[in-house]
Amino acid sequence: MIIKELFHSDLSINAELVLDYLTRRLRDYVIDKSRRDAVIVGVSGGVDSSLVAYLAIKAIGAEHSYFYMLPSASTPKEDMEDAYAVLQFSHANRSNTRIIPIDDIVAAFEDRLSERLDRVAIGNIKARVRMTMLHSFATIHNGLVLGTGDKSEITMGYFTKFGDGGVDVLPLGDLYKSQVRELAAFIGLPPRVYTKPPSPALWEGQSAEDELGIDYLTLDRILRRRFDLWHDERDIATEIGLDEETIKRIVGHVKSTQHKRYPPEIFRLSFRSHGSDWRYPREWG
Amino acid sequence: MNPLRIALAQSTSKIGSVNDNLRSHKEAIKKAQDRLSNIVCFPELSLTGYLLKDLAFEIAPACREAVESLKQVITSGEVVIAGYVKTDNLGHFRNSAAVIDTQGIRGDVSKFYLPTYGLFEEMRYFAPGDPLADLKVFETVQIKFGIAICEDIWHAEPIEALARMGAQVIFCLASSPVRGLQKTQSNGASLVEDQWCALLKAHALMNNIFVVFVNRAGPEDEEYFWGGSMVVSPSGQIVASAKRFEEDLLVVDLDIDDVGRARRFSSFRDHKQRLHEVLERL
Repeated sequence: MIIKELFHSDLSINAELVLDYLTRRLRDYVIDKSRRDAVIVGVSGGVDSSLVAYLAIKAIGAEHSYFYMLPSASTPKEDMEDAYAVLQFSHANRSNTRIIPIDDIVAAFEDRLSERLDRVAIGNIKARVRMTMLHSFATIHNGLVLGTGDKSEITMGYFTKFGDGGVDVLPLGDLYKSQVRELAAFIGLPPRVYTKPPSPALWEGQSAEDELGIDYLTLDRILRRRFDLWHDERDIATEIGLDEETIKRIVGHVKSTQHKRYPPEIFRLSFRSHGSDWRYPREWG
Repeated sequence: MNPLRIALAQSTSKIGSVNDNLRSHKEAIKKAQDRLSNIVCFPELSLTGYLLKDLAFEIAPACREAVESLKQVITSGEVVIAGYVKTDNLGHFRNSAAVIDTQGIRGDVSKFYLPTYGLFEEMRYFAPGDPLADLKVFETVQIKFGIAICEDIWHAEPIEALARMGAQVIFCLASSPVRGLQKTQSNGASLVEDQWCALLKAHALMNNIFVVFVNRAGPEDEEYFWGGSMVVSPSGQIVASAKRFEEDLLVVDLDIDDVGRARRFSSFRDHKQRLHEVLERL
C-alpha cells in the first residue's frame, strides 16, 4: 500500500502543520496580497486538484471557491465521479460548480489548424483550452487560478507550458507527489483519489508513471536526494537499489525541462534587464 | 527578586514601506506601554521588511529618520530595540539594530554574519559589522543587555563575547522563515523551529543568560515567517513563547537574579582565553 510505505519513508511530512501552513498562505496570498475575491480551480478527480479544492474551501470559503470540471473524451468516467466525491467531501457550494466538456472546442482548433496533430499536440491544446477557460472565469469572479502542479511534476517538467502550467499560484508546488498523497490521506479524502495511478488523461489510457518510466515514490526519493540533499548520483543508486543509469535518466529529464520552469529568455543589453539584474521583491508597493 | 518586564513585539513588516512599519511600531509600543513593559524588542529589519532585495538601496535613506522618530512615543525609563538598514560613512548599508530611548538612538549594532546561501543574499546588499565596534553592552537601570541579529546566533562567539562583557540578557532579532515540514522530535514544530530552540537553549546554558528571541511572523514576499518568539532562561528552559505564524505581543517578567543563581552551578567562570587564541589563528 502506497501510503503505508510513505509514512515510513524519509518523505513523510508533519501533515497537520503543513495543512495549517498551506491554508494560511493561500488565504493570505489571495485575499491580503492579491486583493482578489475568489479562487478558481479546475478539478480532474486526481489527487492534486482534489487537495487544492479542499484547501481552497478551507482557506477562502465555499462561497468564494469556484470549481470547473472540464472533461474530454479521454477523461475516465471514474475521474469525474471522484471529482464530485471530493467536492461533496469538501462541502463545495453546488452553485459554484460546473461541468463543461471541451471536445467541441478542441475539435474546432484541430479543424482550423488544418494540420495532422499527434496525441501530444492535441493533449497540449486540451490543457491550454482549460487554462483559457479558467482564466476567463477568474476575470468574471475577480479571482486567481489555483494551479494543481506538485513538486514532482514541476521538477520533471511534467506539465504543459501555458496549459496546466499557466496559473497564478501553485499551492502544492513544494510538495512531492508522495507528500501530496500523504496529506490527502491525513485529511481523509476518498482513498481512491490518492491511491489510483496519476494521469493527466490527455489521451486515453495515459499513465504518468508509464510516461516517466518510474513510480512516484521512487521518483520522489531520487529527486529529494539529488536536489534537496545534494547526494551524488552513484550514492543515490546504491541507497535506493537502482542502477545508476536510471538516476542519470531522471536527472537528465530534469535538466532538459529547465526552460519550462523559467520565464522566457530575454537577450540582455542594458545594465539592468528583467531577470538576474532585476531584483525587486515579488511583493512590491 | 529583581523584575524586568520585556515585550517581544512579534510583528509582520510591509516590505520597503518604512512609514507603514513605523506606524505599526508605534502602535505596538503603545500596547507594550499599556502592559508596563520596560523594554520592547522588534524583529530583524523590522522597520523595513526583511526580503528587500534591491529595495534595500532605495529605502535606506528613510530609515535613520524613522528610527530616530520612535523617541516621540517612548516614555521615560523605557527602551525600544528595532531593526533597520543603516547607511555608514562610506555609503555602505548595514543590517542593524538600534537601541532607542526618549533621547533618540542611544546606540546601534550591525550584523556580523550575513547569510548568503539558499534564499539569503545579504552579502549582496550589506557590509558586515565589525566586532570591535559592534559588540556592545547597553545598560538600563535594571539590566545590562546585548543584541545579536539572526545569523549571528548560529555562531558561538558573538553571544559568548557579549555575555563576558557583562550582558545578562541577549535580545536576538530574527527573520526566520518556515523550512522543513517533515516530522520532528518536537511536537508540531517545523525543523527550523527545532533547530532554533536548540541554538537558543545552548547559548542560554553555556553563558547562563536570558536569551530573548524575537522573530517576525507571517507572510513577506515568497517567504512565510514562523514567529514563535520565545524567552529562554539562564538554565535553558523556555519560559514563554509567542504564537506560531501570527503577529503577537508577548510580555514576560524576567528575574535578572536568575543569571547569578545559574552561574553558581556552572563552569561559565572557567573561561579559557587561549582557546580564542587558537581560533584567531584559524
